[in-house]
Amino acid sequence: MVAEVETSGSMQDRRRGGAASNLARSEQINGWLFIMPALVLLGIFMVYPILWSLWMSFQVGRGMNFSFGGFANIIRLTQDPVFIRALSNTLLFLAVQVPIMLMLALLFASALNDSKLWGRGFFRTAIFLPCVTSLVAYSVIFKSIFALDGIANQALLALQLIENPINWLSDPFWARVVVISAITWRWTGYNMIFYLAAMQNIDRSIYEAAKIDGVPTWARFWFITVPMLKPVILFTAVTSTIGTLQLFDEVNLLTNGGPSDATLTLSLYIYNLSFRFMPSFGYAATVSYVIVILVGVLSLIQFLIARDRRR
Amino acid sequence: MSSVKLRDVRKSFGHVEVIKGVDLDIEDKEFVVFVGPSGCGKTTLLRMIAGLETITAGNLDIGGERMNEVDPSKRGIAMVFQSYALYPHMTVRENMGFALRFARVPKDEIARQVNEAARILALDPLLDRYPKQLSGGQRQRVAIGRAIVRDPEVFLFDEPLSNLDAELRVHMRIELARLHKELKTTIVYVTHDQVEAMTLADKIVVMRDGIIEQAGRPLDLYDDPANQFVAGFIGSPKMNFLAATIVEKAAGNVTLELANHGRARLTLPLTGGTVGEAVTLGVRAEHFGEAGAGGADISLDIDVAEHLGSTSYVYASAGGEALVVEREESRHENGRSHIVVSIDPERAYLFDSQGQRIR
Repeated sequence: MVAEVETSGSMQDRRRGGAASNLARSEQINGWLFIMPALVLLGIFMVYPILWSLWMSFQVGRGMNFSFGGFANIIRLTQDPVFIRALSNTLLFLAVQVPIMLMLALLFASALNDSKLWGRGFFRTAIFLPCVTSLVAYSVIFKSIFALDGIANQALLALQLIENPINWLSDPFWARVVVISAITWRWTGYNMIFYLAAMQNIDRSIYEAAKIDGVPTWARFWFITVPMLKPVILFTAVTSTIGTLQLFDEVNLLTNGGPSDATLTLSLYIYNLSFRFMPSFGYAATVSYVIVILVGVLSLIQFLIARDRRR
Repeated sequence: MSSVKLRDVRKSFGHVEVIKGVDLDIEDKEFVVFVGPSGCGKTTLLRMIAGLETITAGNLDIGGERMNEVDPSKRGIAMVFQSYALYPHMTVRENMGFALRFARVPKDEIARQVNEAARILALDPLLDRYPKQLSGGQRQRVAIGRAIVRDPEVFLFDEPLSNLDAELRVHMRIELARLHKELKTTIVYVTHDQVEAMTLADKIVVMRDGIIEQAGRPLDLYDDPANQFVAGFIGSPKMNFLAATIVEKAAGNVTLELANHGRARLTLPLTGGTVGEAVTLGVRAEHFGEAGAGGADISLDIDVAEHLGSTSYVYASAGGEALVVEREESRHENGRSHIVVSIDPERAYLFDSQGQRIR
């Protein structure tokens, strides 16, 4: 009797097991069908170009006439003064602009987080607005502000800070200053919003406790706010680094890389190599992989620096 | 000297006055508890003493000095917050020593003070942990430790136990009482829990709508409430209130008729009140007597009985009036649908229609 029950039980189990695996398989198929459209699009427009550009980076030749060149493009990189120029410009922008922008964003955020500040809604909007304005419009306005007879020169002359107007866009040093100011102006508010959101999650009584305990204002900022925002600071540092390494629009519209390549960036160089000069798609692909490697290495370094030492 | 004196202290947010003139003397080394329903202004008053809220009008003295405009860090106070307000990125040790770094205290002195506070609060094994690795009770002890390290003259506690579970709350309550004995400092403590107030306080301050309803020793408030609000707020379960009318007055005596209890009559040894006045009779659950024990007998329908072992609470009603009666022998009364109890005139309170005590 017992044996019989067991047999029928195990048979039932097997039958049920078969049904279950059928069900699991049909669920899997359904799942794949559901995500298939997105996967196909991703494959065509993301994966395929990435792999294609990797293959292209080993091709040499002009226009559509190319042939496999092995490491020829990588050797060309090391001997190309324009590439070295573009790389050093990009790294310079990165090293100067990202820290300035993030520090400004942090200061603005902590000032605007003060509930007693008059007109903080206005200032918040004003500082955030640049990153939603049209790129071309703001470039045109920046160009006119920094023209030889633009408002920047007029103001500095009127304040008697300078004797002669500054040739903003045709002096290598000042052209870089203009580009850095432009991207800082455009992206500070964007980063500030992340800091503000994170600050509003900090329990107010933490600051009140510090205040009662006699912790000075600068120390509350440096020893409480900054450490508590560390994950957000890391996030903005990584995204800003990526953004600046890919810097293209501002230099293209404001200076076009000039004067004499003083503001040429890697992205602009890639564009020039592909579409402006005699097309050299293979070499352009190699340069774009330089950006990929830079982004990977710098992000890794930032993650390592910000890693929690306690774990 | 670390007494705290409040003289006609007021606070307005815009046009809304939330503290409407508070006079209070807190003696040196006294444990004072502000208690009242939420929104009564008790936390605002505490924050005004701390300097986290400005004082709109009036005078605040701590240790004999006017403190209205003094920076919070220079008032000789330390505060423990309801949310603990620990620095999440610092260890317990760093949390407790952080403020001292800015008071130019030498490193070995900071270490000594932190260790001393950790010893008092039994935090020694937790000194290198982070707040998120601690339980609620442990976090609360760290917050208290951070206050102790500063060696303040006055401790301010803002509902410190309300985030803890019931068992831990009882435990921490005893810890706080012990701490007050050991530290011998002035403590101002805010809570909405009248049991905490009764057990911890040297002096209870009952607040409502921005004013002090009554201040005094816990048992004085229990025995001799100034008005119906205090009578209802202090004591658990709440005092019963019965509608009544004064029907007769004689020298030193007032006779009432209880409207909802078959017009039962009761004579109280009071001099106030006028004949025909509608009044409220207050009787605590624990002060009802056996039927026929004197005073007035009233008959009640039992709704629910809660047996707690040593005692029972009988929830009963009559004429639409709900009452709670404490009965020590109630376990023998299982299955009964009504009881008769007596009201002892010596242990009953009378309030006028404004809620003020008639004496």
